[in-house]
Amino acid sequence: MYLLPKLGAPYQKILTKHEANKRIMKLRPGFSVILASSKTRLLTLSRYPGELLIDIITPIVFALIPILIGKASAGSGAETIFARNTGTENYISYMLIGSCIFSIVFFAFWNVAYWLRSEMETGTIEALYLSPSHRIWVAGGISLYSLIRSIFSAAIAYILGSFLFGVNPFQGNIVLALLFIIIGIIPLYGMTLIFGAMVLRVKQANTLVNLMQWIVSFLMGVFFPIAMLPAFLRVLALLFPPTWMNIGARASILGIEYFFTEWYLDLAVLWGFTIFAPLFGYWAFRSAENKIRSNEGVGTF
Amino acid sequence: MKHPPRRLRYLKAELDTFFAMTHKELVIMTRYPIEFIASFGQIFLIIAMITLAGLTFSQTGQESGENLISGVVVYGFVLFMFVSDTMWTLGYEVRQEQVQGTIEQLYLSPANKFANLISRVVTVLLWTGLLSLAGVALMIALLGQLPFYNGLLGLYLLIMALLGTFGMGFAFAALTLRIKEAAQTVAILLQFVFMIVCAIFFPFTTLPPAIRMISRVIPFSYAVDAFRSTLMGYPEGFPELAPIEVEIFIVTAFAILMPITGYYLYRRAENHARSMGSLSEY
Repeated sequence: MYLLPKLGAPYQKILTKHEANKRIMKLRPGFSVILASSKTRLLTLSRYPGELLIDIITPIVFALIPILIGKASAGSGAETIFARNTGTENYISYMLIGSCIFSIVFFAFWNVAYWLRSEMETGTIEALYLSPSHRIWVAGGISLYSLIRSIFSAAIAYILGSFLFGVNPFQGNIVLALLFIIIGIIPLYGMTLIFGAMVLRVKQANTLVNLMQWIVSFLMGVFFPIAMLPAFLRVLALLFPPTWMNIGARASILGIEYFFTEWYLDLAVLWGFTIFAPLFGYWAFRSAENKIRSNEGVGTF
Repeated sequence: MKHPPRRLRYLKAELDTFFAMTHKELVIMTRYPIEFIASFGQIFLIIAMITLAGLTFSQTGQESGENLISGVVVYGFVLFMFVSDTMWTLGYEVRQEQVQGTIEQLYLSPANKFANLISRVVTVLLWTGLLSLAGVALMIALLGQLPFYNGLLGLYLLIMALLGTFGMGFAFAALTLRIKEAAQTVAILLQFVFMIVCAIFFPFTTLPPAIRMISRVIPFSYAVDAFRSTLMGYPEGFPELAPIEVEIFIVTAFAILMPITGYYLYRRAENHARSMGSLSEY
């Protein structure tokens, strides 16, 4: 457009459209890579249906442990005591929502980290770097696959778990809770790129994921309100987008207070993360890649 | 020059293999220092999570040190950490060798396979021992003094439980050779089943009666019950499944019979894989 300053506005418009089409055409192969890599993984998953079963069972079992510990320690007054500490008597849904959102978060980190690690272990990562399509598109495909898998299993786990524990899964404002989760997913996957950069640098994906899953569950307050954390940890937790997903979803379903008392203020914070986290994640991933490629190379593990 | 009897030489060769493999595993462990730091961090976070989850059900916001539930959770946690090693490490290592394409070379070498397998668990157990001590110290710091009685009997029960689950580990490694990738799925499912049915983190009384019936059929449940009840000094209502004498008998029988059964199953699966040529397939 700037090369033809003397042409009139209508021409400029036509050229701009043309350029836009060209840009879209440039992006098309990238989207094909996203779809192809997610399809490959979904196809592989379909060969191991047991894995899906585990995905569904995991959040239920994860929630069951604190529920039973609570029942054992507080006895018949568990609801009242829990309400005093958290704002709701429904401790079963509280734990279940926390563990289902945690499973979405965990899958995001696990799938991206394990993708890089398995490419390293099977010796295909160098081939990936030599291919003409950029890794970020493949990472996008992994994220799409991870998203489909985790949302599906978390939704089933929540409904199934609610029925198993005898609570109503469709109470409260489900639509608003879903909105918190959907918006929270964007910064979440942005953050997984930062984690991917760490895996590239440190190599030990299993160790990092194992540690990360507990850091995540601790910071986002899977089984407790973050108000119980010491002040400095609370600040750290609030800088972590999944915490806002968790607070928002819980408040919408169980009618407990939002962090900023109004739902739209909490949601605004998540929108802020939506802009910042993917850009920062991409920058971190590229920096790690460049550093490794100019030093030891990506093939070592 | 007189040579030592053949059996002694064989035993020496086995021990040499065991020490060499253990040394190799320890060297690998030291090459991944982040794993050391991360596992300590992980223990700290798990304990903090359990403590905070427990505090949401606490009247005062502070857990009492003498609280029996703390004892149940802490001792269950220690047992869970050890048992996770003995039960799943063998199968996981077999799978890793398959994925990395080194399993056939291992089987073609003259080294003893039994010593090779055990060495992998021993190194992990050493590390878990240290982690458990750190974990218990941390829990005492967070929850206050725990009930602690009958240390020697507790140690005996822990060793028996580990031997029994070691046998289960062999059986699981056999399953890994047969069903390959799906074994990981089975492992996770079984881990969940054990966590709930064997009431590792909570008393058996919180389980529905139908599940408690299943608990009574699994020998490992008696190991969990006997171990924590013994260390807590048999407070009222503990042990929950059977009198302690009966539980000790069951746990001892489990420790003797399960390794024999597990190793037998592993050898069968191994021979089957070798005769079918499927050892390195995955």
